[in-house]
Amino acid sequence: MKKRWARRHIVEGIFKVLMLTSFVLVTGSLMFILWTIMSKGFPALSWAMLTQTPNGGYYLGKTGGILNAILGSLYMAGGGTLLALLFSLPTALYLETYLANSSWSQYVRLALDILWGIPSIVYGAFGFIFMLAIGMRASLLGGVIALTLLELPIMTRAMDEVIRLMPPDLEQAALALGSTRLEVALRVVTRQMLPGIVTAILLAFGRGIGDAASVLFTAGYTDRLPTSLLRPAASLPLAIYFQLSMPYPEVQNRAYAAALILTLIVLAVSLGSRALVRRLNKNIFR
Amino acid sequence: MLKMVRFLLAVSLTALLLGACGNSSGNSSSAPTPQPDMLNGTITISGAFALYPMMTRWAEEFQKIHPGVKFDISGGGAGKGMTDALSGAVDIGMVSRAIKPAEVQQGAYYVGCVKDAVFPVVNSKNPVIDVIMANGITSDTLRKIFITGEITTWGQVVGKPDVTDEIHLYTRSDAAGASDVWAQFLGGKGQADLKGIGVNGDPGLLNAVVSDPLGIGYNNLGYAFDLSTGKLPSGAVVVPIDSNQNGTADPDEIFSTLTQASAAVANGKYPSPPGRVENLVTKGKPSGLVQTFIIWILSDGQVFVSEAGFVQLPPDQLAEALVKVK
Amino acid sequence: MRLAASDHFLQGHKKQLPGVSRIRRDRWAGRLFFVFSMVPVALALLIFVVLLYKSWPLLHTHSIWQLLTGRVWKPEEGLFGFWPFIAGTFVVTLVALILAVPPCLLTAIYLSEYAGRTLRAIMKPLLDLLAAIPSVVYGVWGIIAIVPLIQNKLIPFVHRFFGDVPFISSKNPTGFGILAASFILAIMIMPFIIAVLVEILENVPRGLKEASLAIGSTRLQTVRWAVLRGVMPGVVAGIVLGASRALGETMAVLMVVGNVVQVPHSLLDAAYPLPALIANNYGEMMSVPLYDSALMTAALILLIIILIFNIASALVLQHVLGRKWV
Repeated sequence: MKKRWARRHIVEGIFKVLMLTSFVLVTGSLMFILWTIMSKGFPALSWAMLTQTPNGGYYLGKTGGILNAILGSLYMAGGGTLLALLFSLPTALYLETYLANSSWSQYVRLALDILWGIPSIVYGAFGFIFMLAIGMRASLLGGVIALTLLELPIMTRAMDEVIRLMPPDLEQAALALGSTRLEVALRVVTRQMLPGIVTAILLAFGRGIGDAASVLFTAGYTDRLPTSLLRPAASLPLAIYFQLSMPYPEVQNRAYAAALILTLIVLAVSLGSRALVRRLNKNIFR
Repeated sequence: MLKMVRFLLAVSLTALLLGACGNSSGNSSSAPTPQPDMLNGTITISGAFALYPMMTRWAEEFQKIHPGVKFDISGGGAGKGMTDALSGAVDIGMVSRAIKPAEVQQGAYYVGCVKDAVFPVVNSKNPVIDVIMANGITSDTLRKIFITGEITTWGQVVGKPDVTDEIHLYTRSDAAGASDVWAQFLGGKGQADLKGIGVNGDPGLLNAVVSDPLGIGYNNLGYAFDLSTGKLPSGAVVVPIDSNQNGTADPDEIFSTLTQASAAVANGKYPSPPGRVENLVTKGKPSGLVQTFIIWILSDGQVFVSEAGFVQLPPDQLAEALVKVK
Repeated sequence: MRLAASDHFLQGHKKQLPGVSRIRRDRWAGRLFFVFSMVPVALALLIFVVLLYKSWPLLHTHSIWQLLTGRVWKPEEGLFGFWPFIAGTFVVTLVALILAVPPCLLTAIYLSEYAGRTLRAIMKPLLDLLAAIPSVVYGVWGIIAIVPLIQNKLIPFVHRFFGDVPFISSKNPTGFGILAASFILAIMIMPFIIAVLVEILENVPRGLKEASLAIGSTRLQTVRWAVLRGVMPGVVAGIVLGASRALGETMAVLMVVGNVVQVPHSLLDAAYPLPALIANNYGEMMSVPLYDSALMTAALILLIIILIFNIASALVLQHVLGRKWV
């Protein structure tokens, strides 16, 4: 009896060590990247970068900032995320509350998985072809559409995964009390799985705001602030990409600062929305 | 809670739409006092990274004279510039290489705007650097390195078989005008003929060579030299191309400062290719605001060329270009 | 479609009861949501059709077998062999998965079972943050940190001790290659996989875990035998998610993978996956005949690979679990 007890615990001990090592390795690599961004980006960061648009000599190393890209990215990713949310949440809820495991849900999930794997450059190319076909030029709207396409499968699939984990008892209790599926979906599921849903939204937002390939052809670029849906708009990933390609080390260093700004934006949005969710959601059944 | 979510959604969507559509008439909020010539409108430009800083500089200067004109300038590479111009997505495409007949057939109308050149670059700690700087490298040797791959060690390059250090060859991975031109100089047809590890971007190529003592690559004029000091970037050296094939690197074949190199490109001593004219492409002959801008670039705009690391077009080519545009 | 009690109820009591409008609302919402759910399917089909249409010029003038297995890629001469790119895509993704999945699984189990609440609270935003770092930044980090590491430390080490081991030894002297790309890819997909796995593991019914613990299992045994089997489909889904992301990742990979058109034979070789091909050359497509069709074909091939991959994993799961899995 004593021997078997010891063995199980030894195995668990070994696994614990393995897990800790993995955890440390993973967190370590991730911290390494953050540290690189911060150490290279912080020195080049300045108040001017956040509040000014590039002046003509900006790419030659002179004054200016990337406010155009900051606002552009926020608008584009914000718009794309909202639009994607509009389509994802109903789809995900539908898959769980109305459809269960029917064959249509299989097709939808398969389609989502395929869309999820398509490289962002293909969405960019697709958007570009579409825009040419209807005579639209590279613009903020084009960027929003491309990002919506990109974020849609991410958001839907992540929400779907989360919503499926809903404790069935809760759902069935609601149905048994006479709720319609709609009410179950809107009032019970959403409230219960809100943290997971917010995670899904944040994942999609983060992917969208950080992607360069899809906006390169659809959103264009400009040094001016985004004021119209139909004019090209700058974005942070492209700002980073362009600045990295300039022959001036000062400009290249500013690319790291831009990367830092992007990371901080995502952090702020992430923390902010989680705090909001925690405030709103006291009644989860766990 | 759901009501709040719906409310927030509605508010933000409305705000986004109102804010964006409200100004789609295109007027900027701060209207400066109108100049005597009331040129206004917007010019969209995209294309080669090589020309990108130059173009933004030109735009800034042009805007000082004509405040009503707005610019939207984007990078993305020479190929993107061509694609965008031909598809009507932008007004002007910046293309850092020669225009192909197939492109002319699709409506490409081009004028040169600056001159640029590609230089071969090696690491300053290369094992045979002294021999290279003394004798130069012929274009035939370069061809055997970059295109056919017959030469694989640095010893073979300088004729010292006992040096067995391998050549670490680098090229551009993104579709680049510089690569096309370099390949053509060495007898190939295009970028795909160049061997080597593909690195992204001009600065990326330079960094790869600077980090690798056995590396060799190629860079545009503005990247092969440190633009702020006018000298070579630390860790890299421009290889003298032995154009007259006399086995020595003559003083006019060695370039250690930006001024030297620019001068050689300007007076034609540095061969073209790999020197080349960088082009502005429009779909069909430009007119109106775009035409005015291009004419300005070819005349008053040329003074700003050297600060960006380029070479002005020689006067006869400039005149030709002006004729073509007017 | 699953029916609720309300539907049955509606049959006989259409006009009489107050709650009927709720039921009608439910029906209408169902129809509306159904339309929404068509969007992904329609989109996937649309993309497939458009890609097919755009690749048609290439597909119907070249034998598909030759396109898929050909090894020569010279668009200027009309030679389009996709095999090196397909092989590159597979190898890079596979190695990335091998590098990423075991640590992710272990970390997720640790986070959900063993870690304290504060640790979990920190990790969640941290993971979101890391999932949001733009791929350009990962690429740059790769160039600054990973490529030199491989080039200066790993490769000499391998040459000394593992000189001729297949799959490890390689002619590529630089750090750019499959290992660098797969390593960065692995780190990129880890936040996704861990987030999904943790979410799944945390939502295992408490009763199940408690029952297992009550009969005296260690926590590890609980996880292995009670929890994992039930969440296996979710775990596989998480892995497929990570794999799809890896298959499609463009920017970071192309910055460090070497971009050499060759079939890789070793971890340290350079390669050229399909997304890199598309991204590097998308701008150039107007200039060479059939080039744009070739790039669209590359995208089409990628789409089909993803399709096959998803169907295959669904089938495998079905086989393993013995029931229909969605």
